[in-house]
Amino acid sequence: MELFISGIGGQGVQLAGKVLALAAVAEGRHVMLSGDYGGHMRGGSSVGTVVVGPGPLRALPVLPSAGSAIAMHNQYWENVGGRLRPGSLILAEASIAPALPGMEGHRLVQVPATAIATEMGARMAAGMVLLGAYAAMTGIVAVDSLVAAMKEQIPVYRRQHIEANERAIRAGADALPALGAPFDLDGAPLREAV
Amino acid sequence: MSLTLFEGSEAIAEAAIAAGLRFYAGYPMSPATELLEHLARKLPASGGTCINAATEIEGVNMAMGAAAAGFRAATGSCGQGLALMQEAIAESALNETPLVVFNMARNQQDYFQATRGGGWGDYRTIALAPKDLPEAVELTQLAFHLADLYRVPVIVLGDNLLARTQVSVDVGRRDFGPLPPKDWQLDGTSGGSGKSRQIWTWGAGKHNTPGPGPSVHWARIAEKFDRIAETEMRWEEGFVEDAETVVVAFGTGGKFVEHVVHDLRGQGHRIGFFRPVTLWPFPGEALERATANARRVLVFELNAGQMIDDVRLNVRDRRIVRPIGGVSFDSSGLNLGPLMDATVIRQRILDTLEGATL
Repeated sequence: MELFISGIGGQGVQLAGKVLALAAVAEGRHVMLSGDYGGHMRGGSSVGTVVVGPGPLRALPVLPSAGSAIAMHNQYWENVGGRLRPGSLILAEASIAPALPGMEGHRLVQVPATAIATEMGARMAAGMVLLGAYAAMTGIVAVDSLVAAMKEQIPVYRRQHIEANERAIRAGADALPALGAPFDLDGAPLREAV
Repeated sequence: MSLTLFEGSEAIAEAAIAAGLRFYAGYPMSPATELLEHLARKLPASGGTCINAATEIEGVNMAMGAAAAGFRAATGSCGQGLALMQEAIAESALNETPLVVFNMARNQQDYFQATRGGGWGDYRTIALAPKDLPEAVELTQLAFHLADLYRVPVIVLGDNLLARTQVSVDVGRRDFGPLPPKDWQLDGTSGGSGKSRQIWTWGAGKHNTPGPGPSVHWARIAEKFDRIAETEMRWEEGFVEDAETVVVAFGTGGKFVEHVVHDLRGQGHRIGFFRPVTLWPFPGEALERATANARRVLVFELNAGQMIDDVRLNVRDRRIVRPIGGVSFDSSGLNLGPLMDATVIRQRILDTLEGATL
């Protein structure tokens, strides 16, 4: 399965990609992760690409297409929108979802991630909410694996954020089934051999 | 097999340490900086030494010194840094020190540098060009083995995508078979003791125990490189048996081409791919066989045309060879550009098949 995570620098796009990748490796899967982001820390385009498969991957480090995406911001969405195959799953932050162009033919799921994260007092953890929802909806990794990978990845000097991140991941997963039925990544049309 | 998610540079550092690397003196330049950083963190912890050399010339010569003392040693930078190391790489070939040189290149413009070199004398460098990180882990370890087996410099040629993409890999030690004892290694015995050893590019030997002299020494080394050329060619090919079109590419470009060719095969095109894993020795006979029935041979490389020379030398009719790559950088000039994209490569191949001009 291939996933693009698209947003702007500072939203935690690269962290979200790394957490998903580590969780998948911990579950014994083969993983490729690449990050494409500007030189600045905040405000520029940020795209994470995650590929997960049961065996050695043929996936390219510059992925020509994918079957799913997480949209954290509408700005720079054009970096990935045109590379989604028809019928892709798009999990989008609800506040920007209406501004995403080209949603026809895809399954768009709006996740009120920022609202959920803000409500729990950790607005910056919106990316973790989306990640939790993505895992729950696709079953690509267990939610507990995401939590463990997040704990592994947060640096020592940011340990204070672990608890909020964990709650955010679980809140995202708990947002289902209200958000909709599970999405079969393997059954997605035109799936690439990975 | 134990998989760990590593950034490319870190996996290569781990693989080098697993292969027994004991000394690294590199020079930081993007995208080679991370390799030095990871080795600086990891190599001392495994009993080795890592030095951020003040210049590339210092780095390569320090590594040659460590190699002469019998330790597995390496240096590295990007191609711009290797440009400055050329004399020492040639010396290492001619004085027979096993030296591994990493080129985490900014592009694919270092093919000539890797395969022809810019030092003096009749020398060659084995050049290994992995297509992705799992292969880079293998070839990094193979590089140290081949360097010791033949007492030659070996270049591992990567790029920014290889260095920075994170992949789950097994970096454990690979076994490539037995090696001859290093009975030539310098052991610190000083001159005048009658027991000192000498490593010298000219093969002149010592006053009381003269060597073969430069002519015999260099002829023997040339014969050694002929032997390597016959035995160490490595390549990967696919769908070439009935291919009307064969696309040749190396390194990361080879992986992209392989992907596109699989795709086009699925749509009924009689197309195959060929990827030299060793850029030197170039697997020329294998390419000749793979293209024996081809009507066209396309060469994809992100430069103005370098490997295409070796391709033309090794196909039955050089007129069927056409370039489909070109110079392509990102805006920083430090990374591969927009041509390294499956969609672009696919379109360039299709344009050629339809006879349209590029």
